[in-house]
Amino acid sequence: MKYVMLYALSTCPFCKMAKHFFESRNIPYNFVDVDLLPEEEQEKTVAEVQRISGRRAFPVIVIGEEVIVGYDELRIREALEK
Amino acid sequence: MTSERILCPVCQVAFLLKEEKVPGKRVVCPVCGAVLVLEKGDASWVLRRPQDITPEEEIRARVENFARLRGYRFNEMKEPLIEALLKKYERYGDFYCPCKIDNIPENICPCLETRQGSVERNGRCHCGLFWK
Repeated sequence: MKYVMLYALSTCPFCKMAKHFFESRNIPYNFVDVDLLPEEEQEKTVAEVQRISGRRAFPVIVIGEEVIVGYDELRIREALEK
Repeated sequence: MTSERILCPVCQVAFLLKEEKVPGKRVVCPVCGAVLVLEKGDASWVLRRPQDITPEEEIRARVENFARLRGYRFNEMKEPLIEALLKKYERYGDFYCPCKIDNIPENICPCLETRQGSVERNGRCHCGLFWK
């Protein structure tokens, strides 16, 4: 099973859809709602998101080695199956 | 009747207002779709955001106008996104993009990248509010 990490915002509907995608398929995943983190931790996490995705927009989904920016179900499926 | 460039307080773009200027008149920003009110300032006319409508009425009118101006459409994601924009308004004082971490002027909905054509390029805005 690949490591899955979802960087999300609590206000972002596509982030909720990504959570639902993993939950409804019983795919183990980790997630963080970046906007709900304490300030210092938030800055660190956003810097990490920016480093891996080049953006400060969400969701950013890491599946194994792959980084998916935005909610793209096809790419998520492909990354999980690789 | 004179035309003069007048600044939209939402998207910060100055546009040419050719209509007759009357205090209190409602104007729609042709760039972002914001509903604005014309007022006589000290030296020239100014546009302000209306105070007599609720935040929900304001953002609904703005996104409807923007979609109409650009020929974009909505889908079932519209209502969750209106809700999310209202949450941002409550938390941070303006309609900042629900999918971006930075609550800064260029991320006020419709955000700068959307106004600069991301819907044309990607088929939708980053959040999925506006669709081609």
